[in-house]
Amino acid sequence: MKKLVALFLACAMLLSLIPAMADGIDTSEHVKIVYLVTGDKPSNRTDEILGKINELLTEKINAELEFRWIEWTDWQTQYNLALATQSGDIDLIGTATDWLDAWPNSQKGAFMPLSEEMLQTYAPKTWESVSQAHWDLCKYNGEIYLMPEDNYAQWTNHGFMYRQDWAREAGLENGVHSWADLAVYFQYVKENKPDVIPWDANGNGSSYSPQMAGGWQTSHTGNIAIEGFPVSIFYGESKDDPYTLSRYYIEGDELVNFAKEMKKWADAGYWRADVLNYTGDVAGEMEEGKTAAHQHHTQTWTGERTTMERKQPGSDLGFFWFGEEMGNLISLNITHGAMAVAAQSKHPERALMVYDLMRNDPEIYHLMQYGIEGEMYTVDENGRFSRPEGFEDSVDGVSFNFWWGRNDNLEFKNAQLDWDAIDALYAVYDSVKIDYPYGQYIYDNSMVGVFMDNLSNVYNTYMPRIVFGMNDDPEALVAEFRQALKDAGIEMVMTEIQGQLDAVYKK
Amino acid sequence: MQQTVNNASLYRRPSIGRTIWQNKTLILMCLPAIVFFFVFCYMPMPGAYIAFTNFQYNKGIFDSPFVGFKNFEFLFISGQLGLLLKNTVLYNIAFIVLGNVVQLAFAILLNEVNSKPYKKTAQSIMFLPYFISDVLVSLLVYNLINYDYGFISNLVRSLGGEMPKVYQDANAWPYIIVFVNLWKSTGYGTVVYFASITGMDSSMMEAAQIDGANAWQRIRYITLPTLKPTVIILFLFAIGGILKGNFGLFYNLVGNNSMLFKTTDIIETYVYRSMMNSFNFSQSSAVGLFQSVVGFFIVLGANAFVKHLDPDYALF
Repeated sequence: MKKLVALFLACAMLLSLIPAMADGIDTSEHVKIVYLVTGDKPSNRTDEILGKINELLTEKINAELEFRWIEWTDWQTQYNLALATQSGDIDLIGTATDWLDAWPNSQKGAFMPLSEEMLQTYAPKTWESVSQAHWDLCKYNGEIYLMPEDNYAQWTNHGFMYRQDWAREAGLENGVHSWADLAVYFQYVKENKPDVIPWDANGNGSSYSPQMAGGWQTSHTGNIAIEGFPVSIFYGESKDDPYTLSRYYIEGDELVNFAKEMKKWADAGYWRADVLNYTGDVAGEMEEGKTAAHQHHTQTWTGERTTMERKQPGSDLGFFWFGEEMGNLISLNITHGAMAVAAQSKHPERALMVYDLMRNDPEIYHLMQYGIEGEMYTVDENGRFSRPEGFEDSVDGVSFNFWWGRNDNLEFKNAQLDWDAIDALYAVYDSVKIDYPYGQYIYDNSMVGVFMDNLSNVYNTYMPRIVFGMNDDPEALVAEFRQALKDAGIEMVMTEIQGQLDAVYKK
Repeated sequence: MQQTVNNASLYRRPSIGRTIWQNKTLILMCLPAIVFFFVFCYMPMPGAYIAFTNFQYNKGIFDSPFVGFKNFEFLFISGQLGLLLKNTVLYNIAFIVLGNVVQLAFAILLNEVNSKPYKKTAQSIMFLPYFISDVLVSLLVYNLINYDYGFISNLVRSLGGEMPKVYQDANAWPYIIVFVNLWKSTGYGTVVYFASITGMDSSMMEAAQIDGANAWQRIRYITLPTLKPTVIILFLFAIGGILKGNFGLFYNLVGNNSMLFKTTDIIETYVYRSMMNSFNFSQSSAVGLFQSVVGFFIVLGANAFVKHLDPDYALF
């Protein structure tokens, strides 16, 4: 009897759904879509703008958006923990294949597979704007997991920001364009600017290891980094032979040269002796004129150049990009930013609808990215936006940290940035760049994961000492590092990865 | 026969309901602690199953595929286990032994002081470091001893000395870490011991004084023996965590400075370094479970040992 009643009720519920579904999509229930995003909870006008956007969302699709911030303190752990412990409490997840582990998280079941029908029905504009080839790059096991930020031009390749005024004083008329130039620059600063530390690196974190080591590597070889590994030692040989793994970390002289050069830099005092335990704000120090360089990526430089011009007039902040000597540069992967739907989301359809509007609705997009027009920004005849006098982003701005679907069709360029300098650098990039060659490949951790963890430990043990020259004999340290990698099973892991690459690319 | 039964019924245990009723106030007072341990320690226990699975977020702990002891492998094939166990256990022994000795000494000294305001102030000042987070402690230490700008380094240099590069010298760190740990924990432990000294029957002390015992004799023959049960219980509690390191303290003080790992790498920091990029919850839980199970048997063993020596002092 009970079963019969239940069946009847289920049928009744189904029937009641049909009329509402008939004319398209049922939005009769007001739902809250929670958006997981990395960043510190803003104290500017974000909440106020969110209120305005929620009015629009309610009107259009009877939904509202709520933030769940993953603050920068310990963000990697917090982010992955939020994904692992989800229970329908999050709906949209900002992710990325290179810096937010989108593929491992897809494999672990953090995201909901998105069928073509779902995307066509609930995110039609996004579906239209992303090409089939790009959707293919968002698939794992034949299913789409990510909606890529594939219509937004930016460069996040790393390098060194440096002051061109000081570089010119140092005799580098054309600026710094190689590691050798950088050494000249640092030496000049060391000798002539007594209160400035050439590069006051905060070596306490782990991020410098892959950036610096990979930077030297791409500047001195044709190697191409493959994304998605827990440890950054897997590179393709070159653009002519991308699907053969490079043996850079196991043999050859370049890594030894790197270790020797960094040892020289350490001895010369380009950073503080206790760099590995120092935690400081390098960008802030550079703005105060206390350090002469900052290692980060191109996109950061575009903004920092303007800030520096304000705080250190005449500094003419330049950017030496890793790989410049070899013209070794890879375009940004389209999944450097992407949105996913949480596996446990109770409202995946509405979540997709919200995303479609965030990404494609001009009114919502402009509110989200710039705020209220006229009050918080103005747009000039060239389509560039300016902030009013005295505008402070941390107080007067809006921060949605929407790095998962920015759209150049709706973007305004920032009139305050130095577009001559930026466009000049972008033109150089465009002349040498190649497309990321491994878009189809997703590393499968199931076979050699245990060894990968040990490699990770070895890398994190030795690389900081190599990068910051903290050793007596760089050659011996590299030899020790290589032996430790071998003991941890690198040959076996490389054979496995080569096999996985071959399975995708050498059919 | 009849006699035995009667005797047994005479001494029969009161029923559980009756025991509870008789001790209702005591039990009520214990309730918050019971609830706390139940909710935070016993309820999550089935979750330890995650250590035996290939955890899938969308399937949850109990529906994820079972993989047996595979998650325990990585610790054993790393070749680091010996060093990690050695460091972890030695640090803990140093913390437990030195910590208790210093705490006891301070508690006894405090007890011998007669000025009440002094006692209160001393306790508060000693207690303070306990509340300072490890992140701040690491900054303090860095700003004291870093080679280029450290306070102590500058002091040494201004006195014409040569400051060693402490952050590149692994041998210095056992002393630094043990010292920092003592500095942080002494106040807390002292208060615990001081409390049990204050709880002592004062008539014993007075009798000893009348009999002409000096301060040293009173400490040796009255205070210390009275404190023995407290010492043993605290020791038994502490020894269960002998394989567990204080991650916050070690990680913040040492960070990724691998020049110091030889003497500072403990199980927790190793696991963090290996898995900070792969977020393998199953493997990290496996390590935690391993530590807890070993700790459990060590507690059982230590308790049995204590019981063997003197049953009155055993925990159970």
